[in-house]
Amino acid sequence: MKSLLASLALTTALTVPGLALARPVTMTVNLNNYGGPGAYLALYVTNSSGAYVGTLWMAGGRSRYYQHLSDWYRATGGSTSQINGITGASVGSGGQLQVTFELADTLFDAGYTVHIDAAVENMRESPNEVAVPLTTSGAGTTTRGRRYIAGFTYSM
Amino acid sequence: MNKTLMILVASTALTASVAVPAWSSITNRVDGASSAAIESDTQSQHMMFASNDDDDDGYRRRYGADHDGDDDHGRGHDDDDDYGGGANNAAPAGTVAPPENGLFQGGVRPIVRTN
Repeated sequence: MKSLLASLALTTALTVPGLALARPVTMTVNLNNYGGPGAYLALYVTNSSGAYVGTLWMAGGRSRYYQHLSDWYRATGGSTSQINGITGASVGSGGQLQVTFELADTLFDAGYTVHIDAAVENMRESPNEVAVPLTTSGAGTTTRGRRYIAGFTYSM
Repeated sequence: MNKTLMILVASTALTASVAVPAWSSITNRVDGASSAAIESDTQSQHMMFASNDDDDDGYRRRYGADHDGDDDHGRGHDDDDDYGGGANNAAPAGTVAPPENGLFQGGVRPIVRTN
């Protein structure tokens, strides 16, 4: 009986870390009232070397405008394969974008950074408007953008 | 004892089957990440959306021009939410699984809310 209990404890100890590889993370972007049409936003992640890892979300559906999200475009070549299934509507002036993901635990406290490029019709492009390291301690902290983004927060 | 051994073997197999693919998908993606470093573009450029499908020509024609506030040049705001038409547009969220870039675990689709 004791050996059975011990083996159960061991299996639990071994299995739980394997299952706890992801966590729900909600990212919220609040825009300023910049007085223009809907903003295109690209949320993407770089690693500790600054190399592009992948895109989390693309707000704005027309690929021909992606060149204005210039840092993202430079890293991806504007490839829609990077954003299939993670593309939604642009975000209006003063509006809010909130996206919840199941993100890998290993992205946190490991040198990864989430970036947001922003662009608005007839207004200035704003590449890398927000760049926030993904850390567990940084959850809940609001970061202001330079031009269009009033605040960016992630929570988990 | 045989029973204990069987449980241990089963748990090890289960752990390996869950953990190894997940871990390797992350590390492979990171190792294979584009070497092009993301550089902050400090010189913001003026953005002009084109209103027709010949966007490149339209973009170049209008790029850098002063915006006088009217739309005589055919420039207009495109509602960006017409996903269905453009063959080159990305698949909207909910229609296909997210890309396998190592960020999304188990292909779980993001949940979005826009106000």
